[in-house]
Amino acid sequence: MLEIKGICKTFHAGTANEVRSLQSVNLQIEPGSFVVVIGTNGSGKSTLLNAVAGTFLVDEGSINIGGEAVTGWAEHRRAQHIGRVFQNPFSGTAPTLSVAENLALASRRGQTRGLGFALAGANRDRMVAAIQGLGMGLETRLDNAIGSLSGGQRQALTLLMATWLKPKLLLLDEHTAALDPRSADQVVRITDRIIARDSLTAMMVTHSMQQAVTYGDRLVMMHRGRIIHDVSGAEKRRLRVEDLLARFEEVRRADLLDASAAELLRARYI
Amino acid sequence: MSLLLGAFIIGLILALVALGVFISFRIYHFPDMTAEGSITLGAAVAAALLVTGHSPMYATLAAAGAGAVAGLITGVLHTRFKINALLSGIIVMTALYSVNLHVMGKSNVPLMNVTTFADQAAGIAAQFGTEKVLLFGREAAIRDLTLLGLSLGLVILVGVLLYAFFRTHLGLAMRATGDNDQMVRALGSSDGVLLTGGLALSNALVAMAGALLAQYQGFADAQMGIGMLVWGLASVIIGEALVGTNRFGYLLAGAVFGSILFRLLVAVALRWGLDPNDLKLITAVFVFAALVLPGSFAKLRRRLSAPVSGGSRA
Repeated sequence: MLEIKGICKTFHAGTANEVRSLQSVNLQIEPGSFVVVIGTNGSGKSTLLNAVAGTFLVDEGSINIGGEAVTGWAEHRRAQHIGRVFQNPFSGTAPTLSVAENLALASRRGQTRGLGFALAGANRDRMVAAIQGLGMGLETRLDNAIGSLSGGQRQALTLLMATWLKPKLLLLDEHTAALDPRSADQVVRITDRIIARDSLTAMMVTHSMQQAVTYGDRLVMMHRGRIIHDVSGAEKRRLRVEDLLARFEEVRRADLLDASAAELLRARYI
Repeated sequence: MSLLLGAFIIGLILALVALGVFISFRIYHFPDMTAEGSITLGAAVAAALLVTGHSPMYATLAAAGAGAVAGLITGVLHTRFKINALLSGIIVMTALYSVNLHVMGKSNVPLMNVTTFADQAAGIAAQFGTEKVLLFGREAAIRDLTLLGLSLGLVILVGVLLYAFFRTHLGLAMRATGDNDQMVRALGSSDGVLLTGGLALSNALVAMAGALLAQYQGFADAQMGIGMLVWGLASVIIGEALVGTNRFGYLLAGAVFGSILFRLLVAVALRWGLDPNDLKLITAVFVFAALVLPGSFAKLRRRLSAPVSGGSRA
């Protein structure tokens, strides 16, 4: 469903702040696969998701979604294939519009928006049913401004909006990181349920090792703009939090070694 | 009475400016200086067409079209060429000053000898047979009342159309763009196109107001746009205070009420001897106060209600 070939992205190229965020990343995701992406801060995991979403264009490489080459497409054009939930609960919804109006916007993702009334009757029953499915008691607040809801409620609604029209690819960028533990748990459960129900292809970036081992059928670990581990199938199911922590420790040691080796060389030769 | 009716009519005409500013400033949070140029553009285009013998209806609609083009250019400057929002409007506003002079051919075009919508209203009024009626114990000219009725009808029509439009799929996406452009992109619409369209709509309304104002006062003038953005903003702010809710339909109606009330206040102040030269200064001070005071009051209240030990900074 998603095919990434050799994509590279360097920010602030040619300056002192040059960051090589993605260094020739290759990734293929089969339809219906739920991939969890983890990595240290600045490892490029969110950058990878943004590259797929089209927040910026990559310097090199190609991106295909469902067999369609989208490498040069603008962000809003790619959205016809992609549903997204962001880390910031404020990013996914329009605060002054009502819950129903936000859902109505999502019901036209990637389609032309004409002069038909957005809140025409028939859609409303589906909205109530879908919101009831979240189990948050929001079905009575359909006409409230979405800005009056909590972060967890907004993330759950954003999730509903992202999947209202079945996307070819669902991108979740640490979408529970800004929530309190209880809401985070609730939102990630809803996520898992929707992905399973609609057999969606999904990529989820997370900081939570617990989420990384519990959810998804494949795990990708990034470091310094590269994919350094890619685990799936039975191996992914056997994975425990300790295994992941051990791998992070491994990476940290390798980094330390690099740094001390460089220091040693500098001391000796400069 | 005539003064009062005049204030009402101008308030209604300028309500279109308030609605335009409401769209740019409140929906998109875009301080659109284009409005200052496009109100004159509307007056200029309408005047030029009326002088060459076109109908008031055609002239007014053409003026709105010209305003839409001006808004479109501002939108393109901002979204395609990434020019700062304020600067995009100022660039177009500045350019429009020359354009307006070219359209009019001189800096002031009198509309005394052509048929304007005001004259058409007078034509309708003439059919009533009598020239004046008693209204609240005072004499009122039928001509003024007819004009008032026409302006009111037009503003209501525009208001209802806007309300309906902002409830369609397209209109909803435009409102969302001002709220959260990131979300609009993630839902597959170009926020740049939606903003540009909104600015075109906003400036079409403003230019339409210019066309009607020129016809009502009997001339188009190159200077008539100065201060119009702040004027519109004052109306919007008064309107928000009047309706006291964030519901969209109320806010639209509030902009209209705000414009009428503000014009009435100005008329009364002028009647009491306010120097017309001070009008813009007072408007500016009013907008400043309306923008700043609510925040200052809230801060003051917090400070007053804070425990005494907390105020150790003093």
